[in-house]
Amino acid sequence: MTTPEPVYDVVWPLAPSAAPAGSLAARSADLSGKTVGELWDYLFKGEEMFPLIRKALETRYPGIRFVEFETFGSIHGRDEKELAATLPGLLRKHGCDAVISAVGA
Amino acid sequence: MLRAAAIAERAGVPSVSIVTTPFMQQAGVVSRGVGLPSLPIAEYPGVPMTDGSDAVARKVEALLPQLVAGLAGARDTGRPTAAEPGPRDVVHRGTLDEIQELFHKNLWSDGLPVIPPTLARVERFLAHTRRQPDEVIGRLLPENRAATVWSIAVNAVMAGCRPEYMPVLLAIVEAIAEPIFRVEDAGSTPGWEPLVIVSGPIATRLDLNHGQGVMRVGRQANSSLGRFLRLYLRNVAGLRIPPGAGDKGSIAGSFNVALAEDEDAAAALGWSTFGVDQGFTRADSVVTVQSVVSISPPIYSAGTRALDHVRILAEVFGGACGYWSSIGMKYARWEPLLVLGPSIARVIAEDGWSKDDLRRYLHEHVTITAREAETYALQVGATAYTLEAHVKAGVLPAAYATSSDPERPVPVFVQPEKIGILVAGDAGRNQSKGYVNNHIQGGRVSKRLSA
Repeated sequence: MTTPEPVYDVVWPLAPSAAPAGSLAARSADLSGKTVGELWDYLFKGEEMFPLIRKALETRYPGIRFVEFETFGSIHGRDEKELAATLPGLLRKHGCDAVISAVGA
Repeated sequence: MLRAAAIAERAGVPSVSIVTTPFMQQAGVVSRGVGLPSLPIAEYPGVPMTDGSDAVARKVEALLPQLVAGLAGARDTGRPTAAEPGPRDVVHRGTLDEIQELFHKNLWSDGLPVIPPTLARVERFLAHTRRQPDEVIGRLLPENRAATVWSIAVNAVMAGCRPEYMPVLLAIVEAIAEPIFRVEDAGSTPGWEPLVIVSGPIATRLDLNHGQGVMRVGRQANSSLGRFLRLYLRNVAGLRIPPGAGDKGSIAGSFNVALAEDEDAAAALGWSTFGVDQGFTRADSVVTVQSVVSISPPIYSAGTRALDHVRILAEVFGGACGYWSSIGMKYARWEPLLVLGPSIARVIAEDGWSKDDLRRYLHEHVTITAREAETYALQVGATAYTLEAHVKAGVLPAAYATSSDPERPVPVFVQPEKIGILVAGDAGRNQSKGYVNNHIQGGRVSKRLSA
């Protein structure tokens, strides 16, 4: 007669989510006359992409203007956490109605 | 990048993020972790670093509709509401084989068999701390889960740790939860791996190897502590390779076993121990965690004078660091680690050299050209980076832009004081080894053990 194989009652190896609740900001239907901030991690050819985006959107949305990425500095650099703390104030200061954040994940 | 977008959204400013196709799954993990799973994304198809200007222009044109939709039309689709188990909930009853299958299927293991985390086993670990099981040590991005004492015990059981390791395990998680460690970047493409260094009396009490074969699996404490950290990053930070998401290490590597120092050998030379270098006393038991992105070849050096050895160390350790130093320069902070064999350390110390003398020598004698630094950084993706601009911005010291000659030498080690030096390995051989860390990602953090 063989001994029955032991069984184990196991617990979950993950941990409670700490993701904060939140929702997206309200959008305007039209970008005409709006100010768009450029947030860049200074990687992956953003310096080529942003000018192309500016040019394309300027032709489609009269009065749109851009606060260029140099104004904010790298969002993925040594001072990322400091920038994160001041970003809401910077967006207000420059009158940003929207932001484009690039490039990567 | 998505984290910056989330900050903007919470400040009432709509965002859209440009994400390349290979990062879309990771973007999902990050978006959920920041609590905004519907963060608008415009997908750039493919890999920008292998696209020419024409392709970039074509692809940017193609992503414009998504970009506009994100800024002007996105709607919140809400948060997933699936309930998750509580810490003491039994999620499965089964045989050893059934438990392994379940953990593999749910991506809860590292691909190796795990010890089943039963309530009784977890309780045995909790008996080695005065902290409450539900105490939160920190929040671990990108999945953004609460690093509870309970979850540390569960994963330690699975990794094959012993219950008495609990104070070390707690200190490891305290270290990686510090902002300077940047656990949120532990799934970045270089594929860096954390390295745990255990200093002080606890290393002897737990039987950590510091001698021959120190970085090989085979000693329970060294191996299981290293394995624990990789498991914990998977299960609590959410860093899983495919078929999971979150860990984008392109080739990456296996976990490092925990490292301990031959502290008696260091002290006999009149050198401070690694733990003391981190600001503690020899009587303190300390855990340090830092990233390792690559390892030098074994560095053999021979001779009776310090210079015989440090010249070779500069050449081989410096050579191993050279390519990646371009990124160290970009962020102006990195912390490579040199593990000196005891016999090498003895010759250097007996010739009157301190650890700081060795650091200074490496700083002064290991250089690459400015052209190499900028070229290497460009390959990684730093497409608008120059040393000169970094010096002008005050990120790098003036030594990095003494002229505009691209062939000018620049120091590989930005801050000599950040070079870690530790004595370990085979006392009966003349070998050292260097560990290259991933610049600001996985910055060195030390924690004194507490119960």
